Amino acid sequence: MSPLTYILGWPLLAALVVLVIPRNYRFVIRSVALLATLASLLVAVKMFCQFDAAPAVDGYRFGQIIPWVASLGISYHVGVDGINVGLILMGAIVAFAAACVSREIKTFEKEFYLLLLVMTGGILGAFASLDLFCFYFFHELALVPTFIMIGVWGRGERKNYATFQITIYLSIGALLALVGLIALYLQMPAGSRTFDIVEITRYFNGHPMALASQQFIFPLLLFGFGILVSLWPFHTWAPLGYGSAPAATAMLHAGVLKKFGLYGLIRIALPLMPAGAQQWMHVLALLCLGNILYCGWVAMRQKDLNLLIGNSSVAHMGFCFLGLASLSLLGVTGCVVVMIAHGLLAALTFGLSGWLREQTGTLEIEKLGGLLRRMPFIGAVLIMAMMAGCGLPGFANFVGELAVMFGAWKSLSPFVVVAAWGALVVGAIYMLRAVRNVLHGPLDPVWAETRDATSLWRKLPFALLLVALLVFGFFPRLLTDKINPSAEIIVEAATATPVGKIAARPAQ
Amino acid sequence: MKLEDYSWIVLLLPLAAAAIITLFTQRHGKLSAQISIAAVATSFLLSLFLLITLRETSHAISAINWLAIGNLKVEIGLRLDHLSLLMLLIVTGVGGAIHVYSWGYMQADRCVSRYFASLSLFTFSMLGIVLANNFVMMFIFWELVGVSSYLLIGFWYEKASAADAAKKAFITNRLGDFGFLLGIILIWATLGSVEFDALKTTLAAHPAALGSMAGVAGLLIFCGAMGKSAQFPLHVWLPDAMEGPTPVSALIHAATMVAAGVYMLCRVFFLYEAAPAWPECLAFLNGITALNIISWIGGFTALLAALIAVQQNDIKRILAYSTLSQLGYMVMAVGLAAPGAGMFHLTTHAFFKALLFLGAGSVIHALHHEQDIWKMGGLKKKMPVTFWTFLVGTLALCGVPPFSGFYSKDAILAAAADPVHGNVGLFILAVLVAALTTFYMFRLIFVAFLGPVKDQAVDQALESPGIMVWPLRLLAVPSVLAGFWGLELFIGGAFGETAHALSWHEKIFAPLNHSPLAALFGLFATMVGLGAAWQLYAKAVQDPLPEKLGLLSRAMRNRFYFDEIYRVLIAITHELLSRLANWFDRWIVAGLMVRGTHGTTELFGRALRLAQTGNLQTYAFLFAAGVVLVLWFVLGH
Repeated sequence: MSPLTYILGWPLLAALVVLVIPRNYRFVIRSVALLATLASLLVAVKMFCQFDAAPAVDGYRFGQIIPWVASLGISYHVGVDGINVGLILMGAIVAFAAACVSREIKTFEKEFYLLLLVMTGGILGAFASLDLFCFYFFHELALVPTFIMIGVWGRGERKNYATFQITIYLSIGALLALVGLIALYLQMPAGSRTFDIVEITRYFNGHPMALASQQFIFPLLLFGFGILVSLWPFHTWAPLGYGSAPAATAMLHAGVLKKFGLYGLIRIALPLMPAGAQQWMHVLALLCLGNILYCGWVAMRQKDLNLLIGNSSVAHMGFCFLGLASLSLLGVTGCVVVMIAHGLLAALTFGLSGWLREQTGTLEIEKLGGLLRRMPFIGAVLIMAMMAGCGLPGFANFVGELAVMFGAWKSLSPFVVVAAWGALVVGAIYMLRAVRNVLHGPLDPVWAETRDATSLWRKLPFALLLVALLVFGFFPRLLTDKINPSAEIIVEAATATPVGKIAARPAQ
Repeated sequence: MKLEDYSWIVLLLPLAAAAIITLFTQRHGKLSAQISIAAVATSFLLSLFLLITLRETSHAISAINWLAIGNLKVEIGLRLDHLSLLMLLIVTGVGGAIHVYSWGYMQADRCVSRYFASLSLFTFSMLGIVLANNFVMMFIFWELVGVSSYLLIGFWYEKASAADAAKKAFITNRLGDFGFLLGIILIWATLGSVEFDALKTTLAAHPAALGSMAGVAGLLIFCGAMGKSAQFPLHVWLPDAMEGPTPVSALIHAATMVAAGVYMLCRVFFLYEAAPAWPECLAFLNGITALNIISWIGGFTALLAALIAVQQNDIKRILAYSTLSQLGYMVMAVGLAAPGAGMFHLTTHAFFKALLFLGAGSVIHALHHEQDIWKMGGLKKKMPVTFWTFLVGTLALCGVPPFSGFYSKDAILAAAADPVHGNVGLFILAVLVAALTTFYMFRLIFVAFLGPVKDQAVDQALESPGIMVWPLRLLAVPSVLAGFWGLELFIGGAFGETAHALSWHEKIFAPLNHSPLAALFGLFATMVGLGAAWQLYAKAVQDPLPEKLGLLSRAMRNRFYFDEIYRVLIAITHELLSRLANWFDRWIVAGLMVRGTHGTTELFGRALRLAQTGNLQTYAFLFAAGVVLVLWFVLGH
């Protein structure tokens, strides 16, 4: 059996187990969740280390196919290439860290862990799937628990509005993407229709899609997936949703699930619809500046730490979009690195803000201050996370952003100038302001009783995420050498036929 | 292991020290200090060893492949040549003295481990800049220097002013880095490499390879130097950074961080030798080169800072502005196509300015954190070692022969007087700054050390302990002697200059033979400054200048209101934009679009709910009305 099946299987199996454990066995429930995510993590680490970047036979490693609905061409098909191997590792790390910090949940624990495990399995499944149907199905499996978790365990006055908004937005995004995917499926001749992504890619490589269809389907996928990644101006659900969500949910969604849209664009939209991609890329480049600069400015004005982090997370997604819009090897590789780095970073910051909220009961920046004195560990990690957020070398984010900016320079140099301003200056302003107002300055006596994470067990999730960020930051080739060959194939497919040539060819 | 591979140990030892202190010895202040000092001392000894053994080779490189995506290849490569070896010695040598001194100064602080961890991290980052063999690696360590200085300046983070100063330093530096990064990307995109050697070869073969962007690329790279070396208009962070502990001020402001910008300009000087050209939209710049602009920015910074220093009363701020002013000199030298002179001044300045800062720290320590010179006076008798070493530093800074500063400053004046690259305006400006330098430094000496005692605290002042005084003595030696050690020859080797060796007594008088005009003007300026300071401050109890200069003095004391101007500028740009974006986000995007959808959906819901009253008669009525409507529709057509 493929290690991927274990990776996504353990959490789902554990969800079933949790279902039958009585609800007052809190310790057992929590242990099951921790063990399952830890098992996933260990297998994912092993798979990541064993992954061989040299081209595989059909492009994917650790593959496994179990036919399911043969008449429609649906099967359970998993496999990894350089693009998703890192994403799955990142997802597994974040899932374990999220299970660790879920200690703060004190009500309906059984249901919470059940949903958390389903969400984890769904996320990892979505990234492992090479079958369109499973790909989408697993994503929905992870998405629905998100809404419930925010609605039930969320906090803050605007919880209901946040739940409503995130549900509407993400459902619309997922729906648009679904329409696009179905339209894509129907593009294949009736006899050979399949949901298998490998087969689909092979088919469209041989028979390029008609220009008109590309022009119709590509925007559907771009905006459908884009909404899922909080593409400007469809981003307002993100800061608010994360601000109200319990820490574990915010970590999993902002960190991992959000990357599904980007992954979909890289895996499906770019290589299958090069003409559509090339037509829409300048639009995407413009919109991504909205993410980087505009959301950076919005972040500068936030009075709530979680809203600030949420807006900065939206801003970081701009770099992914910029990398995609460049349609260059450097840009796409950088985009994947940013996805992984940001996943770890977002999980780390939301985990830390969860700790702060648990200790102080508020995240209003003006009320906090001087907390570093009371919380040397949490504070130090938060400072490092903020530094990683404004692109400090040594953290993985820097590598990704650097590659994106270098990659986008050739075709989109004015955009790079603006993006660099957003990353280096605006990012530094709001991140350091937060550090200054939350951690530095004199300690308010109100917070004299707050506690730091002292035991190894409490420190573990934060240390794990931080170490991962540092390892990939110091040794970026661990990631880029794996991503590079796969990204090359995708970029080649996305840029192979210039728009003019396809237009000249009669529609099939 | 090849010889040059030892440079990895030089680089990595401080990092290892920082990591060990952070992870294991947080609670043992003394042990942490020992680890940190041992690391920097070993690095210093190894650098000395490398200097002696590698003397003959022009340069050696040891590299590992750090990142390779497509046509972007980045190495972490260490480059050893005259320039980097010299800088290695300054960073580890002067830095090492500061490490030792720090233990004396900081041992009472309860976070001393954190202090030494940051100090080691800073040393590591600085060494990375020095050894870098390509732009991206330099940028990486450039940023790391920024963040470690942030940690050091904000060491006493509970003090609001320190936390603010740290933030300001980081963000101002980031403004410079913005240009620096764009410059790097531009150069990479045009020339296809980020490596210094490769770029140098390309530019030597095709001087016009950068095309019309040559000038822009040069200025963008210079932006980085402007941030780190605190050149106008990004100079505002440096004086505020005095909020850090005094040894940190010595480290950041004298020897290392601020020198990084000048060092970088020297390292990439080949870039400025390329054919100058400007793109169409900057056509008005035709006829001037990037170097011209750099030299004027340097000269202007030198003058501006010297003027401000004249009216400062905080002993550390006087030194801070003096640093700014001297950095202006160095940058001006690079701009005058004399990077060797800039590096020479950088080296001597590192010695005597570190000495001055540590001396100031000794005074501050003895007076229990009193920094106002008008509350000192008569310290000469109380703290003889501090006084005499401070005087050595001052004489060197003022360029009194035969102290080291005389020779390096003379080299810069000579560059300004040079018939080919020189500029009369800049020469006059430089001489004026030299006079001002002597004036404000002797103002400090007269008021703080010599003149009448102005505060009772002075009576209880005691000479600082040996661990703080010995670094002063150690630094005093090169402050005196560095002028005729043959440093300029060694530096000249880095720029391919050849000069015949002189015997030491010839070297003492070399400036007079080499460019008598510059030397004489320099000496004259020093004398004028000294005389004026004697006249005004020898017996002064309070500052006579504010009365004499009136408004000008006030402007000088308030640093020409740059902070205020910037605050307004930021308020009308970024703050406004951010308010605007936030408003738009809240009311238009979230408001109209989301609430709008929400609202219309709810409106429909409410409208439909009206129809569902649960009242049978209403249903019957609606049913009947519907039937009528349908009938009318069907029959009517």
